[in-house]
Amino acid sequence: MRFNADEIASVIQKEIEQYESQLDVREVGTVLDVGDGIAHVYGLSNVMSGEMVAFPNGVNGLAFNLEESSVGIIILGNYLDINEGDEVRSLGQLLSVPVGEAVIGRVLDPLGNPLDGKGPVITNERRPVEFLAPGVAGRQPVSEPLQTGIKAIDAMTPIGRGQRELIIGDRKTGKTAIALDAILNQKNSGVKCFYVAIGQKDSSVAGVIKILEDHGAMDYTTVIVSGAASPAPMQYIAPYAGTSMAEYFMFNGQHALIIYDDLSKQAVAYRQLSLLMRRPPGREAYPGDVFYCHSRLLERSAKLSKELGGGSLTSLPIIETLEGEVSAYIPTNVISITDGQIYLQPDLFFAGIRPAMNPGISVSRVGGAAQVKAMKKVAGGLRLDLASFRELEAFAQMGTELDPATQSRLDRGYRMVELLKQPQYQPMPVLDQVLSIYAGTRGFLDSVPINQVAAWEKAFLAYMHDRRQDVVDELAQANDLTDGVVAKLNAAINDFKAGYKPTTGATAAR
Amino acid sequence: MSVSTDKPSFDSAREHLGKIYAKGLLGAAEGQQVTERVLAELDSLVDDVLDKLSDFEQLLSSPRISVEEKQRVLEAAFATRMSPVLLKFLKVTARHGRMDCLRQVRSAAHTLFNEMRGRVEISVETAEAINSLLMSQIQQRLTTALGRQVELHCRVNPQLLGGLVIRVGDTVYDGSLENQLARMRSETLDRAAQLIRDSLQRFLVTQ
Repeated sequence: MRFNADEIASVIQKEIEQYESQLDVREVGTVLDVGDGIAHVYGLSNVMSGEMVAFPNGVNGLAFNLEESSVGIIILGNYLDINEGDEVRSLGQLLSVPVGEAVIGRVLDPLGNPLDGKGPVITNERRPVEFLAPGVAGRQPVSEPLQTGIKAIDAMTPIGRGQRELIIGDRKTGKTAIALDAILNQKNSGVKCFYVAIGQKDSSVAGVIKILEDHGAMDYTTVIVSGAASPAPMQYIAPYAGTSMAEYFMFNGQHALIIYDDLSKQAVAYRQLSLLMRRPPGREAYPGDVFYCHSRLLERSAKLSKELGGGSLTSLPIIETLEGEVSAYIPTNVISITDGQIYLQPDLFFAGIRPAMNPGISVSRVGGAAQVKAMKKVAGGLRLDLASFRELEAFAQMGTELDPATQSRLDRGYRMVELLKQPQYQPMPVLDQVLSIYAGTRGFLDSVPINQVAAWEKAFLAYMHDRRQDVVDELAQANDLTDGVVAKLNAAINDFKAGYKPTTGATAAR
Repeated sequence: MSVSTDKPSFDSAREHLGKIYAKGLLGAAEGQQVTERVLAELDSLVDDVLDKLSDFEQLLSSPRISVEEKQRVLEAAFATRMSPVLLKFLKVTARHGRMDCLRQVRSAAHTLFNEMRGRVEISVETAEAINSLLMSQIQQRLTTALGRQVELHCRVNPQLLGGLVIRVGDTVYDGSLENQLARMRSETLDRAAQLIRDSLQRFLVTQ
């Protein structure tokens, strides 16, 4: 590709000829001090809170603190080129980011600048980064499911479109893995996905992008990165910027999913800014409005009313706890804001139960209404059963003699736990999940050795799709467990069990 | 120790104190209708005394010298040459240990006084020195435009290349050649880049 320099020169000449000079009126101030991503400016007497300002080196900032004799600015970019005494001008605009189809498949920074080397983001549409959430009249209850493709979640803590479901757990418990599986499962569902990486190692973000690319998920996903090396103001605005890009689809009647990975780092960045601005510290040195910082962000996830197009924005915020401490400040805040949480535990994770979800304290407050009927029927009560199984298991470990009823409950529990294990990056279609969990909860697995459960499930699903597609089709059509479907399903499972031969030498059931 | 910096240092706390003391000074001076004289004396105190005798300034602001000593020195130095309002003000300021804020008091007093009289301070920057005729024309136009009395401060800045930059408070009206060239450059580049993006084929060499 070669450019024609003459043509470009003629265009530039024409532009210069057409240029109309206007008097440039601007409001200015002077930098008093600068450092750590913030600057204090004298002047700018009419600047408004949240207004954009420009520094002479081309970097923009946001008016963050309006004080009696100076203005505190958070600098969105490289603050090392800014000097004391520089002229700062207010731009009379709010911070905005490019939105639209053009951002899909891109890796962007919180200002919408490309980081993937695929050229500029070509779109004429922009949305303000800070945008008021839809009001009461603009919403409707959550009614459609958002399938994550993870059996444990879709069965026990179902997520609806427009819901906010928190993923919380210690480091290295598989929080990001759940979010990634949820993105991978949105393939062909029309849901646009946004992954906001805040304060993470660039190497792990690169790993995430690689996985998304390998599984073909970048066709419908945008990654917004503000890594650990980027200044605190960028980490602070990243989730708002990502939400603006996702909101575009919601307000156009489409569906979007956004993952904030993770909000604890954003809270830390916000704490840094607030302390540097000398706002008074509160609990754990976080500023008083850190709750509002998260609530106004998560409130922007919504299921819009029919009049507004019925679009939705589902969010999966992630919070990292320290030593399982959910009663720390930020975790309790975000738990109280969201519509439920998926709690991941390290001991489960290391016991090989992955996803390491603790069914006892994981809940989904609104997702049940959105669950598909068939799943609701097979999985109803599963969460409580599993939770009580955990208690029973602890009791049984003391070596007491158990009556047969208790023993059978234990056996069922072991098999359900085994059945709910799922390898990474292998989201499962909801019908397959219904078939598996049906087999488990109705006791068809009781005679299968525990270590054979996964192989049994795999063979069973293959059998259903190869030989008894008619039953699967009927289930898909009814989308419910009607009596007819149940009868056929029972017959199919019994047929399969009759012909099933374990692949390796099976050990006796415990 | 003599500190000489080219950049005027800015201390928002002192600036704030300066405003409060200036208000007090102006209030007292207005009551006796000697404001203009007091302001002129304050100017001369800063420009002719403090700027030239840095030891004297240090003596006044040093916390080691007792208040009585400072007041005695002030009395001895200025009793016959200064209006009593300003002298009393200086003594009060010394008693409060705020003699280090005198420069801020001075600038705040001027701003407040201009506000009281409905005057605006305007700074005008030009590429070359302007003659008095042009200056009076500018002054006249600005007076009619703003509807207030105008106090012009002129400055020469060759970097502007041409035109002039007027600053009223925090608002800058920039009609300089430098600014126009910079804006023309960025706008032209933006539009040309947009055009190339819209119709790439036009700009490619066909082989």
